[in-house]
Amino acid sequence: MLTAAIFIPIAAALVLAILPRTGRGAPAERQLRLAAVVASAVPLALIVATWFRFTGTGGFELVESVDWIPTLGIAYRVGVDGLSLPLAAMTAILFVVSIAYPVDFRGRAIPYLALMLFLEGVSIGLFLALDLFLFFVFWDVSLVAMYFLIGAWGHGDAQRSALKFFIYTFAGSLPLLLAILGIYLATEPRTFDIAEIIRQQPLAAGGLYAILVFWGFFIGFAIKTPIVPVHTWLPPAHVDAPGPASAILAGVLLKMGTYGFVRILMAMLPGLWAEYALPIGIIGAVSIVYGALVALAQTNLKRLIAYTSVNHMGYVMLGLAAAGAAVTGQEAAQAIALTGATVEMVAHGLITGALFLISGSILARGGTYEIDAYGGLLGRVRSLTGLTALMAFASLGLPGLAGFVAEVQIFAGTLAIYPALAVIALLGIVLTAGLFLRMLGRVFLGALPERWRAFPDLTRTESMALGALGVFVVLIGVIPGWLLGVIDSFAGPFVGRP
Amino acid sequence: MSLLLVPLLPLAAAGAVLLLRSHPRAGAVVAVGGLALTALAGVWAAVTGPALTFAWSPAFDLVLRVDGFGRVMVVLVPFVAAPIVAYAARSEPQDRTRLLVLMLGFAAAMLVLVMAADFVTLLVAWELVGAASWALIGHGWRDRGNVEAATQSFITTRLGDLGLYVAAGATFAATGSFAFDGLPGAAGPWPQIVAAGILVAAAAKSAQVPFSPWLFAAMAGPTPVSALLHSATLVAAGAYLLIRLSPSLAAVAWFLPAVAIVGMATALAGGVVALVQRHAKRVLAASTSAQYGLMFVAVGAGSTAAAGAQLVTHAVFKSLLFLGAGIAIHATGTATLGERRLGRALPLVAVASGVGVLALAGVPPLGGAWSKEAILAAAVGASPVLGAGVLAAGLLTALYAGRYQLLAFGRGEGQRGLRRPTAAEIGAVGLLALATALLSGLWLPGAPALAEGLTGGSLAEGAPWELLAALAVVIGGAIVVVALDRRGRLMTLGRAAPTDGLVGEWLGLDALAGALVVRPVLRFSALLARLDDRVIDAGVRATARIAAFVSALVTRRVEISVDAVVHAGGSMAILTADLSRRSDDQVVDAAVEGSGRAVGIAGHQSRRLQTGLSHHYFVIVGAGLVAIAGLLAVYR
Repeated sequence: MLTAAIFIPIAAALVLAILPRTGRGAPAERQLRLAAVVASAVPLALIVATWFRFTGTGGFELVESVDWIPTLGIAYRVGVDGLSLPLAAMTAILFVVSIAYPVDFRGRAIPYLALMLFLEGVSIGLFLALDLFLFFVFWDVSLVAMYFLIGAWGHGDAQRSALKFFIYTFAGSLPLLLAILGIYLATEPRTFDIAEIIRQQPLAAGGLYAILVFWGFFIGFAIKTPIVPVHTWLPPAHVDAPGPASAILAGVLLKMGTYGFVRILMAMLPGLWAEYALPIGIIGAVSIVYGALVALAQTNLKRLIAYTSVNHMGYVMLGLAAAGAAVTGQEAAQAIALTGATVEMVAHGLITGALFLISGSILARGGTYEIDAYGGLLGRVRSLTGLTALMAFASLGLPGLAGFVAEVQIFAGTLAIYPALAVIALLGIVLTAGLFLRMLGRVFLGALPERWRAFPDLTRTESMALGALGVFVVLIGVIPGWLLGVIDSFAGPFVGRP
Repeated sequence: MSLLLVPLLPLAAAGAVLLLRSHPRAGAVVAVGGLALTALAGVWAAVTGPALTFAWSPAFDLVLRVDGFGRVMVVLVPFVAAPIVAYAARSEPQDRTRLLVLMLGFAAAMLVLVMAADFVTLLVAWELVGAASWALIGHGWRDRGNVEAATQSFITTRLGDLGLYVAAGATFAATGSFAFDGLPGAAGPWPQIVAAGILVAAAAKSAQVPFSPWLFAAMAGPTPVSALLHSATLVAAGAYLLIRLSPSLAAVAWFLPAVAIVGMATALAGGVVALVQRHAKRVLAASTSAQYGLMFVAVGAGSTAAAGAQLVTHAVFKSLLFLGAGIAIHATGTATLGERRLGRALPLVAVASGVGVLALAGVPPLGGAWSKEAILAAAVGASPVLGAGVLAAGLLTALYAGRYQLLAFGRGEGQRGLRRPTAAEIGAVGLLALATALLSGLWLPGAPALAEGLTGGSLAEGAPWELLAALAVVIGGAIVVVALDRRGRLMTLGRAAPTDGLVGEWLGLDALAGALVVRPVLRFSALLARLDDRVIDAGVRATARIAAFVSALVTRRVEISVDAVVHAGGSMAILTADLSRRSDDQVVDAAVEGSGRAVGIAGHQSRRLQTGLSHHYFVIVGAGLVAIAGLLAVYR
């Protein structure tokens, strides 16, 4: 079933790729999009079914495995636990919405939709992979697909931004690959099996070799997440990417980094993570405040949202640092820090994904991302205003919406471990409140400039797509139990909560 | 009957108002009726004291419980909100539906706040109240100024909210739970952190020094919004939190003195600001800070009962005063005091406002006087200095209250061309005036025991001289006001020039915050943004150039190394083959080009990109393989 969730969209992408593109019999863009949406919804349905079959009794469930290269201990292994299931679900939701979202195909609907579907399968595969080799394959292939999406359908200096994105994150892949091989070589018997490596703890003894492997993983994941100071690929990639690609980049691809931190680094090298937890927490706190401050100064809507991603990934890092710190007696706090960090990954995917889709819609209508070019739109476009306000408030951590569920747990959990860092990090929520309220005020409130008298509201497709994300943002915010229960089944045992 | 009914009733009313938006009259009736029902449900909840547990997360529950002072608040909030909403429905034609819906939602959030029995529930309600007030203050959103004022209010109170996050986290760290119940048992340094967090949160929400100026910004909202924020909701949350939690923090020695100091400073400073202000709503706003300051003093002096009594009496008379001011402002079109005295023009409103002013000034037998006496008794019991401070604050109150009433509703000429208040507006004011008068019942013999029972606190025994001193202060203040008025210098307080300069602008606190916090933060953020573009990214770009240079140099050697690795042995060969699987794209691409068919993944355009890239791609893969080979050589 999980395998189908990975390969059905990939297969659909291949089918799309061989369709005729021109001449008689070439399908219309509408039909193509509809077909792609249906194909992209299949993994979502499968993951929902998985959600109901998931028991949360610990360990990986619903594992499917096939030997691939047995002599090297490489196998195709997929499965879920309380960490990967919510991320895979969020990925599936975001892809359905992003594929359905209107975008300027530039006359190349088929390759666009094929790449999106391909990327969906790859992304879900990454979260479900239980083999380091498989993980790495998905990791690298996702970069290639995103590179084309930005380069070919972006605007502005898209090719340059795409190349920068690719080279930068690919440079992160190299230490990641080395670290994977490094830990592989330490296993006995040799294996890429994630569950087996976690059980073996091959580098528990420490030493220089273990430290090198640790930093290999760390740099690889840090660039992708991204955390300060290796974040500068993010703003140009977002600004020049088409809205849906931006949503996927922020919502899904960034999560690959944070997911890797938990799934691989913290699980396989817990001792070193604990040793470096304080510096990692400091990096997280710096990312929070720095990302928020830089976002505050942005006049470009998309850059502003991009920098809030840096801020939000800082929350995740802070929570992970607290969760993996070497303290005893605060396991309950560490568990909620880890749960909070995981919820943040999901919440940020939904919220920031929506905000990037919205900025795409604003660009399509107004032709610019400059915040000060707008104003007073509330009187003109109710749906756009309402949905933007909902997502902005969710992003600044308003209770009743998903972001708060994440942040309150991260802060409360971190405070028990690193009180000073938690207090510094808290400043981030004041800054994000300031920057989002300022943005809302400048774009939607005040007087309506004459040139926007005919500013069109969201189309029905756009409203429904964003509304779907909004439903989940509210659902997680108001009754988070169904999500927190799944995550807790992973987080509690992970931190050794009695 | 579930406890959820209490916040759900106003929400349901809000939904109905939304549906009835084309029938404003029916919508108003539903809104007010919904709040009246909520008040009844509140009475039921206060009597039966129910609790409700909501499994929010496997790690902790959210708990609603009506107990302690919450029993009073759960009735007070809808009771005060109902006449204010009735007033708003008639007085604010602009975006009326939006206003009513927000006010009802705001009341619902406040009701959750007073029923919260754990920190996460409290935080949820606390922040929702703040966000709703943002929308309410920015109600006139077409004017950018109102929006900025709303943002300032929200940011200031959210800065204080951080204290609540800290208190929540510290409680969890100490007890493994967010419940209030565990707080007295907390050990180690945690209670200190909880206390500090609560003090900051309460001070910011209740507009205490140095956070006070946000209440001036909040005046950008319509008058009924101010009436609601200042009476039983937003601002009341801070004092409510202290009344509720200060007994649990008895172990923290500095906590009560600190609360008392903050409150005393605000009571005196706010009194001075209210005295020199010329803007009617701002006089009342500064007075709000000062009156909440007195509640802080009462809590600090150990009498949550006195603070609770003051909260109730203040909620009623302050909403009355705001609505009265709103009618006056609507009637004359100006909020500047003394330009028109409306005593003859609006006699009913003037009398009602007069009742509120007497309660504010602490004139027996009104309830406001009783709660002031209780605070004075507690303060004297705690420290003579505190007692003297409360008396000084009482003098200031008498002065600014008298000045306000005479300048706004003094005996002026009968005026024509005024907008007449509607029956709903008069009714709302009348009801609140009646309630203010009825609170005189606090002087009855059974009242102290009732106040102690409802707050769970105790009242200090007052000495007769205290009552006399307080009376002397009020009478003295009244004499000064009347004397100044006779000389025609009440507006300027006896001086030749207008009085409200820096002092009137909250002693320059706002300007100070702008100069010391807001502008430096904005400048710093702009600086960081430039730094981010120029310096950090420049490092990356330089690295990229160096890398390109190096890669050009080593490409040939890398290829040789790859060759060597491939030939190294069986297992290595397989490994390499699988690693290069990732470069399938390139292989496929080459094949495609060779056959001359254009079926690249993204067509012609993207293939051109791809070709430009494959060079880098192979170099990096190659470098990786070299490194792997090196590792293998070491570890095999």
